[in-house]
Amino acid sequence: MPLSPQLLRALEDIVGPAGLVVSAEGRLTYECDMHTFYKGAPDAVALPESAEQVAALVRLCRRERVPVVPRGSGTGLIGGAMAPAGGVMVSMTRMNRIVELDFPNRCATVQPGLINLWLSEATRGRGYFFAPDPSSQMVSSIGGNASTNAGGPHCLKYGITVNHILGLEVVTGAGELVRLGGKTHERPGYDLTGVMVGAEGTLALVTGVIVRLTHVPEGVKTILASFPTIEDASETVSAIIRAGIIPAALEMLDEVVIRAIEEGVGAGYPKGAGAVLLIELDGPTAEIEAQSAPIEAICRDHLALEIRVAQSEAERALLWKGRKEAAGVFGRLTPNWLLQDAVVPRSKLPQIMKEVLAIAARHRLVIANVFHAGDGNLHPLICYDDRVPGELERAKRANEELLGACLRLGGSVTGEHGVGLDKSASLPMQFADADLNFMARLRRAFDPDSIMNPGKLLPSHPACGEGFRPAARPLPTGTWI
Amino acid sequence: MAVSVRAIREALADIVGREHGVREGAALGPYAVDGVVPSAVVRPGSPDEVSRIVALCAAEGLAVAPRGAGTSMGLGNPPRRLDVVLELSRLRAMREYVPEDMVATVEAGATLDALAAHFAPHHQRLTLDPPGGGVRSVGGVLATHASGPLRFRYGTGRDLLLGARFVQADGTLTWGGAKVVKSVTGYDVPKLLVGSLGTLGVLVEVTLRLQPVPPASRSWRVGFPSRAAAGAFLAALLASHLEPDRAALLDAAALRRAALATDPIALLLSIGSAAAAVEHQGQALARLAAGHGGRSDEVPDTVWAGLGAALDGPILLRAVGEPRRLLDWVGEAQAAAARAGVQPALLAQPGHGVLQVALGEGPDDPARLASRLVLPLRRALEAEGGSLVVERAPIELKSHCDAWGDMSPDLLAIMARIKTEFDPGGVLNPGRFVGGL
Repeated sequence: MPLSPQLLRALEDIVGPAGLVVSAEGRLTYECDMHTFYKGAPDAVALPESAEQVAALVRLCRRERVPVVPRGSGTGLIGGAMAPAGGVMVSMTRMNRIVELDFPNRCATVQPGLINLWLSEATRGRGYFFAPDPSSQMVSSIGGNASTNAGGPHCLKYGITVNHILGLEVVTGAGELVRLGGKTHERPGYDLTGVMVGAEGTLALVTGVIVRLTHVPEGVKTILASFPTIEDASETVSAIIRAGIIPAALEMLDEVVIRAIEEGVGAGYPKGAGAVLLIELDGPTAEIEAQSAPIEAICRDHLALEIRVAQSEAERALLWKGRKEAAGVFGRLTPNWLLQDAVVPRSKLPQIMKEVLAIAARHRLVIANVFHAGDGNLHPLICYDDRVPGELERAKRANEELLGACLRLGGSVTGEHGVGLDKSASLPMQFADADLNFMARLRRAFDPDSIMNPGKLLPSHPACGEGFRPAARPLPTGTWI
Repeated sequence: MAVSVRAIREALADIVGREHGVREGAALGPYAVDGVVPSAVVRPGSPDEVSRIVALCAAEGLAVAPRGAGTSMGLGNPPRRLDVVLELSRLRAMREYVPEDMVATVEAGATLDALAAHFAPHHQRLTLDPPGGGVRSVGGVLATHASGPLRFRYGTGRDLLLGARFVQADGTLTWGGAKVVKSVTGYDVPKLLVGSLGTLGVLVEVTLRLQPVPPASRSWRVGFPSRAAAGAFLAALLASHLEPDRAALLDAAALRRAALATDPIALLLSIGSAAAAVEHQGQALARLAAGHGGRSDEVPDTVWAGLGAALDGPILLRAVGEPRRLLDWVGEAQAAAARAGVQPALLAQPGHGVLQVALGEGPDDPARLASRLVLPLRRALEAEGGSLVVERAPIELKSHCDAWGDMSPDLLAIMARIKTEFDPGGVLNPGRFVGGL
């Protein structure tokens, strides 16, 4: 429903004419995140410059019962930063400053639109970095990372975003501008900061973030090991964890992905291998040396074809470039794809990879795999061509079977991408009614009038369950998983 | 009570069996919370029994206080009401443990010592080590957000609790989180439960992330002649490439109580890694200490288990400020204690700005202790965004100071909405949590 002229004027009074997008073509830019199947343009996009403006926007929208949808950089993969029910989108891109770097307290205060990588770039000279490293980190925002509780390759050792958020400034769905947590590491009362991280803007909008800064490790060693089959690589992952070694990162890429990366960005991955593992150790140099020998031995025991250690920072950067830009080269492989983000207990990795291969064969589809193996966080990419009749349906069935298989093994629907619109209908596979009811009531405590990012995260909302509409064009290059 | 005490005891006995609780008269005394004696104590043997007990209490308008090992019942304000103590010590089964996953699901009444014995044969550990906490239940440690020296590397229960089964105030058995190490499916309900003192739900089963036990571990005591020297060393340590896994800071009194050699102030550090790396870091640690006028001596790893002695006594305060100000707060606490005429022992978490202040004797004059130590120190901490929690104190002191301190009205309003949403009748620990929630 279009917004009334009065409401548009009131929005403009808050953010100024330069901070409001109302034209049809302007709003089109905001109709989807990186999951381009789900489209829903907001009725207006507000670009506030302060927390007070955000608070005024939310209060106005609450009064008018208009949906509020937050957006950072729009790099999410779940249909999160889009407006299925219209309403006002609040884009944080103009609130993108570092407010304070506090090295003695090892923390930083930033605005939500700050690009993830900018913070590490600003602190590395002093020996610190921001540990959460989603593959999108060169463009995704820290507010978005916090709202989705983003992961990344190095969260195997360092933990996901929530482990690095000390405090938040938020505007709740009730219109309250409040500070949760802070520079101190604990405080009395409920951990509202912890609840807010990963809430995907359904409880509040994030207007400020206090993050932990992590000391840059003394050394780093990046090992690329290639294997004849994905089963060998999976067994290797389980064996490394079983040996009590938690690398900084432990990533797997299968043959299909290796080929696409080599044709796309050329990271120097060995062609012809069934799978490669990208293993990174960091920490005190003596510890790295002590850990790399057993890792290499485990790789050899599992029939590694080649074990290569990056000899320079340039070589290391190239190996990571291949991994981080993997999704961006999929346009070379397939016109369309579905992406899973399910998790399995890490000992079940060999088992689930057999299932993935079986499901692909059963549905005559290519399923490419590039994922955070050490965490058991899969990213099977189900390739299809929507011009071929029936292929989308087969892809959807394969997708459901895969998710079911992960949950039967004791897993979780999403490890790091979040729920959004995409996975909200899947929550009942993991949670009983009582569990979902608890979450719905928690939401009500923050958002009494259900205006905050409606249709996302929980399955009960009427906007959920609507089938996705395949996009005419493939996913854009520059998508990160 | 809506019905007679006798009828309630009968109904509870029907749920758990007569032999599991329902004490009479004097036997209830030890279960008093801040002097409030319950009408019944009940020891359920399964999550389902917990659910039925809480549902019964909710229906009858009874107030329930969950209890683990009972070591930290002094935390919080005196209960507004208390009818039934729900002792969870029989809930101690290991539900699921696949060592290859480094994840375990255990019942909440299991003690940390018992869990450690389960995990040790697989060279794994749960990295929650509140001082003297081996006898504590894991559910209690999580509900009170207790932590210890291993926090330095591994964080707290907030970072380690992956999933939780809990009983809501109406008796509904509910699950939140996941059983895998990484999940963002739905709200992070376990975060809400950590540190909530059982006011939103009774933890009955928890899924925890475990860590490998390092192949080698050594510990050092680094003594300093002054707070300033210790502070400079700590700042240098945090900015160095050294990666201790445990850290604690003790004043002379705490060192004495823990049977360690005394200095005005000392840090205890342990490094766990491959043997060669431990050796290498140990040398670097000694050099760094010497460079700051400190002396590092290796101590046996058993020192960590002895830290609980530093915190014994009837009064325990928990001061939290910005991490960089830790040594300043040590000085402030010592000065305030001197003004109040008491001898404190101080144990702190370096890097986290958490300082525990233990007093060995009860207050002769509680009003004076509150007005000279607790309240001024709290005001100073709160002025800088910190807090001071009375973790343990005789009721005489609690009558002079709130256990939690001031909470900003806007935050308290949100917390009250959450509490009201889930426990409108005040079944779970009414009155004990912040703002009387």
